[in-house]
Amino acid sequence: MSAVLEKVRTQGNEARYGAIRIDDVVKIYDPEGAAVMAVDHCTLDIKAGEICMIVGPSGCGKTSLLNAIAGFHDITSGAIYMDGEMLCGPGKPKADPGADRIVVFQNGALFPWKTNLENVAFGPMMQGKLSKKEIIEKARSMMADAGLSGTEHNYPGEVSSGLRRRVEIVRALMNDPKVLLFDEPYRALDSLTRSVMHESLLDIYYKNKVTIFFITHDLEEAIFLGHKLVIMTTRPCRPKKVLEVDIPHPRDYSVLTSPRFRELLEETASVVHEEARKSFASGEKEG
Amino acid sequence: MEQVERLLKRTLPFQVVSPETLDGIAEISRHEVFKAGEVIYGAGQPAEEVYVLVSGRVAHRIDPDIKARVHEKELQVGDVFGWAAILEGEKVRLADVACIEAAEVLKIDGARLLELLRKDVNFGEAALKSFSQLISQQYYLPPSVSERVPTTLSKVGDTRTPASNEAEPQTASAWTLTMYRAGEWLRSPDPYLMMVGFALMLGFWYLTVEVLKLPRFEDLPGLTTVVKEWFAEDPVYGMSIYTAEYYQHIWVSIRRVAIAFLLATALGVPLGLFLGWSRSFREYVFPVFELLRPIPILAWVPLAIIMFSGSETPVIFLTFLASFFATALNTMLGVESIDESYTRAACCLGANRWQVFKEVIVPGSMPYVFTGLQISVGVAWFSLVAGEMVSGQYGLGYVINTSYTMVRYPTIIIGMVTLGIVGYTTSAMVRVAGNYMMQWRLREMALGGR
Ligand SMILES: Nc1ncnc2c1ncn2[C@@H]1O[C@H](COP(=O)(O)OP(=O)(O)O)[C@@H](O)[C@H]1O
Ligand SMILES: [Mg+2]
Repeated sequence: MSAVLEKVRTQGNEARYGAIRIDDVVKIYDPEGAAVMAVDHCTLDIKAGEICMIVGPSGCGKTSLLNAIAGFHDITSGAIYMDGEMLCGPGKPKADPGADRIVVFQNGALFPWKTNLENVAFGPMMQGKLSKKEIIEKARSMMADAGLSGTEHNYPGEVSSGLRRRVEIVRALMNDPKVLLFDEPYRALDSLTRSVMHESLLDIYYKNKVTIFFITHDLEEAIFLGHKLVIMTTRPCRPKKVLEVDIPHPRDYSVLTSPRFRELLEETASVVHEEARKSFASGEKEG
Repeated sequence: MEQVERLLKRTLPFQVVSPETLDGIAEISRHEVFKAGEVIYGAGQPAEEVYVLVSGRVAHRIDPDIKARVHEKELQVGDVFGWAAILEGEKVRLADVACIEAAEVLKIDGARLLELLRKDVNFGEAALKSFSQLISQQYYLPPSVSERVPTTLSKVGDTRTPASNEAEPQTASAWTLTMYRAGEWLRSPDPYLMMVGFALMLGFWYLTVEVLKLPRFEDLPGLTTVVKEWFAEDPVYGMSIYTAEYYQHIWVSIRRVAIAFLLATALGVPLGLFLGWSRSFREYVFPVFELLRPIPILAWVPLAIIMFSGSETPVIFLTFLASFFATALNTMLGVESIDESYTRAACCLGANRWQVFKEVIVPGSMPYVFTGLQISVGVAWFSLVAGEMVSGQYGLGYVINTSYTMVRYPTIIIGMVTLGIVGYTTSAMVRVAGNYMMQWRLREMALGGR
C-alpha cells in the first residue's frame, strides 16, 4: 500500500468529475396524505473527488436524500446537479438511475444467486459496452487489486461480510462511476472488521478517484474518512453544521490517536448528541 | 470422537471439509489442558501443530516485528490458532500464546493435516483458502503471511487441472455437497426416529385390527392380509406387485400428474412472475385469481366433465387446476419477497427493465417458486385422486374407488400406500431438482447461512 500512498502524495487529488450540487431540495412523502417531510430545503456542495460524510440521527432523512441523488425516487422541489448538469429539478422530479452514480447499500446488495465474479461483471455485462472476454479480464484484475483473488467463484453467501462489502465496492468501480453513494454500509459489522474496511475503502479511493457521498451515524468513522463532514438536523433533515476535516489525506489508523482528530471529535460530538436527543424525544424511527 | 468432530465442524476452516476428512482430522487431534498463566507456545519456536481452542481464555500476541494491524487479541472458543504449522517456508511460531484462565485445546499435527486436506479433492482447497482468509481477517496479518498457506492441490497426483478448468470443480462439489448432506442426515438421529414412527403406526394397525379386534376396526383389512395380498404371486383380489394391472394403474396416474404438473408449471410460473412484477397486470388479473383459487377442486368436477370430452382430459384438467393456482401464487409471493435493494442495485448498474426481470426477478424468486412446485405436486396428487374417483378408466384413484364398490378391501389399502409412496417420490424429485438448480442457496445453507 505504501507505494500507492506515495503516488497519491505526489500527484494529489485528480478527480475532475462527480461534483454534486444539492440546491434547496425538499422531499415530502405522500404530499396529499400523511405528508411526511424528510428533507427540508437542503443545500450542499460537494466537490469532485471529495469524500463527504453525512452524519445524522436515525430516521432524519439521510437515505431519502441519497435516494434522490441515485434516482430511486422523486423530489418535491429544488434541484440536484452533477458537474453542472441537472439530474433532477423543475420539470424533471426524478433523476434517472445510472452507472455514473452507484449506491452501496446498508445491508449489501450483491446478488446471492451470482458468484462474486459474475456480480462484479454485472454492470458492464448489462451495458454491453465491452466484450464478455474483456469484461471478465477486467473483473478479475480489479478483484485481484482489491485482494479478492481466490473468491471469484464463491457465492457472496460463502464469504465473510467484510469481503462481501469489498466485492460490492469493486462491482461499483467496474463501471467507472463518478460518484459512489454509501448508505451506512458498515453498520452491521463489528468494530474490528469495520476498521479494516475503512482502510481498504481509503486504499481503493486513493487508487480510483471518485466522489464519495457516505452516510453514517458513527462520528469517528465520519471524521476518519471524510474531507467534509455534514451534520444533519433531526427530521426533516437539513445541514446543521458543515465542517472541513483538515487532516491531510492519505490517512491511516494513526489519525485516530492524533490530537487534531480528538479536537474535531469534541467539537462535533455535542452537536450530534443534541440532535440525537431531539430525535429520541420525538420518537423517530428510521425508514 | 464424535464430540471432537462436532467441535471441529464449528471452526472456520473445517466446517467445509468432507465427512471423511473430518473423521481423519478428528483422529489425529489430541486433547490437552493448560493451566492459567501457562504458555502454550512462544514466538520463534518451531511450529508443528495447529490448535483449536475448546474452552477457557487464551491470549494471542503476535510478534511485534511482524506487520499486523492488530497485535493482541483474546481467542474465542472454536478459534483456530497455531496455523504457522501449515505455512509454506519456515515453520516457526509467529506469536506468543498463553492462558489467561485454564484452557483446553485440540492439537492437530500440521503435516498430517495438510496431507488430509490434500486428499479431499472437493473441499480441501476451500479449507485451505479459508485458512488464508482466517489469517488475514481474524489475525489482521498482511498477504505476505496469508499467501504462505499452500493452495495448490495438484501436487498430490490430482488428475484435475487446477484453475484453468473452472466449471468442473463447481459441478463436482455440487454433487459431493448433496452426498454430504445425505450422509449428515444418516448420521443424525432423524432416520432412526422415522423408523420408530413407522413401527408405531404399523404396530397400532396390527394390534387394533388383528390382535385386539376392536369394534369399528375389525372390518378393516389387517396388516398381514394386506402385505400378503400385495406381495402374492396369485392375489385373491386380482392386484399385487406381480400383476401387470398394478403397474398400469401406477403408470396412468403418473402420466396424468406429469402432464398436469408440467402444464401448470409452464403456465403458472410465468403468470406468477408477471403478477408480481407488473402492478397494472396484477390489478387486472389478481382479483379474478383470488376469487377462483379458494373453490375446492371437487366443485370443478361437473364443469370439467361438461367441458371436456372423454375420461382423460377432465381428470388432467382438474389436476392441472390445483397445481396451477399453487404455483402461480407462490411465484408471485417469490417476486414480492425480493428485496428492493436488488432491483435498485441492478438499475444503478445500468440494467434496463427487461434485464432486471431476467437477472433479478427470475432468479430471486426461485426459492419460492420451488416451494410452490413442491406444494403443487402435492395438490396434483390430491386432485388427481378426486378426479379419478369420478371419471376415468385407470389410475390409483380409480382402483381405490372400484375396490370399494366391489368389496376388495385389501386392494384399497394397496392403492393408498402406493399413492403415498409415488407421491412422496415425486415431491422429493422436485426438491432435489430445486436444490440442484439453486446451488447458491445450498452452499449458503451448508455454511450455516453466514
Ligand atoms: N416510502 C416512504 N413513505 C413514507 N415515509 C417514508 C418513506 N421512506 C422513509 N419515510 C420516512 O421518512 C423519514 C426519513 O427516512 P430515511 O430517509 O430513511 O431516514 P434515515 O436514512 O436518515 O434513517 C422517516 O421518518 C421515514 O419514516
Ligand atoms: Mg437510512
